[in-house]
Amino acid sequence: MSFFRINERCNGCLACVQNCPANALDYVDEGNKRRLFHNMSLCARCGQCWRICPEQAIEFQHLLKGDWDEVASMDLIRCSVCGEPLYTMRFGEDLAHKLDHDVHALCPEHRQSLALVAWKNLVPGKTEVKELKR
Amino acid sequence: MITGKLKPLDEIAASISRYRKILILGCGTCVTVSLSGGDRAAEDLARELAHPRFFDGNPPAFKVDTILRQCEKDLVTAYLDIPPDTEAILSLACGAGVQTLAEVFGTMPVIPGLNTTFLGALDEPGILREKCYGCGDCILASTGGICPVARCAKRLLNGPCGGSSNGKCEISKEIDCAWQLIIDRLKALNRLDEYEKLSPLKDWSADRGGGPRSLDKAESVPFR
Repeated sequence: MSFFRINERCNGCLACVQNCPANALDYVDEGNKRRLFHNMSLCARCGQCWRICPEQAIEFQHLLKGDWDEVASMDLIRCSVCGEPLYTMRFGEDLAHKLDHDVHALCPEHRQSLALVAWKNLVPGKTEVKELKR
Repeated sequence: MITGKLKPLDEIAASISRYRKILILGCGTCVTVSLSGGDRAAEDLARELAHPRFFDGNPPAFKVDTILRQCEKDLVTAYLDIPPDTEAILSLACGAGVQTLAEVFGTMPVIPGLNTTFLGALDEPGILREKCYGCGDCILASTGGICPVARCAKRLLNGPCGGSSNGKCEISKEIDCAWQLIIDRLKALNRLDEYEKLSPLKDWSADRGGGPRSLDKAESVPFR
């Protein structure tokens, strides 16, 4: 859905196109049709189109408070004990690669308690405990 | 762009202490980019001001909103809805935005949360530096694209002065001497002849010397 929206009052007079200082509006006359175009990457949201439109056809509020566009969707890793979101699958893989070992899917709280359990179960061998605490 | 810097929190708290329902209003353009007055800055400020160390532990109720530009009267009039019980607006816009709001909301106190700082450029991530003074009579064509009005502490038009040392200004070792930059740049452009020309007295009437300035958009477009 475009952020630049017009209502049914637009009569295609092209005042907006002719007065856009960013050249973000354009039109094409093709056959029996006039089509208007808006380029969001050029638009400065200056409001000149809204001001100039003789028909009050431009719904500028959509350029002020538009909807959210989803730009990505990826798998999420959660704490295997409590389910708290931790990081994405890709992030976990990158981290494991950099650390050169698997990363347990645990939130800081449960990572700590795991270390305590390990400490309880192990006799003083500090080296092994350090290994587990990673 | 116009840059702004958040005022000290104690100063802001003191300036709004008599109001109980305050709208903190961000501005979505220049000061958003200078990381001082956008939507996130407005939310951060509401959180900071709610700290018990302000208002004797009894902070007012804050609401937060942001509009694309506070400096356009018709846009603000048409699209800014403020909560009906608002007692004051704490604006995070530049001074132009604050004054526009004050004009639109005639009986509503509008208080600045920022100090409008300068017209600057983003030299490196997070670092904005003053580059333009808005003097109304640009001389960059003869100074190698480096403005001595904005960037020389003395605004010298025929520099450098005796305070220039090793390319730095005498006021700080961190600040480049604008005239050293100008000479280096003119040399690189093979235009040192420009440096040899004495600049005449500048016409400061285009600056604040002529009183508050205005710009008629229709007059400023000479090609149509």
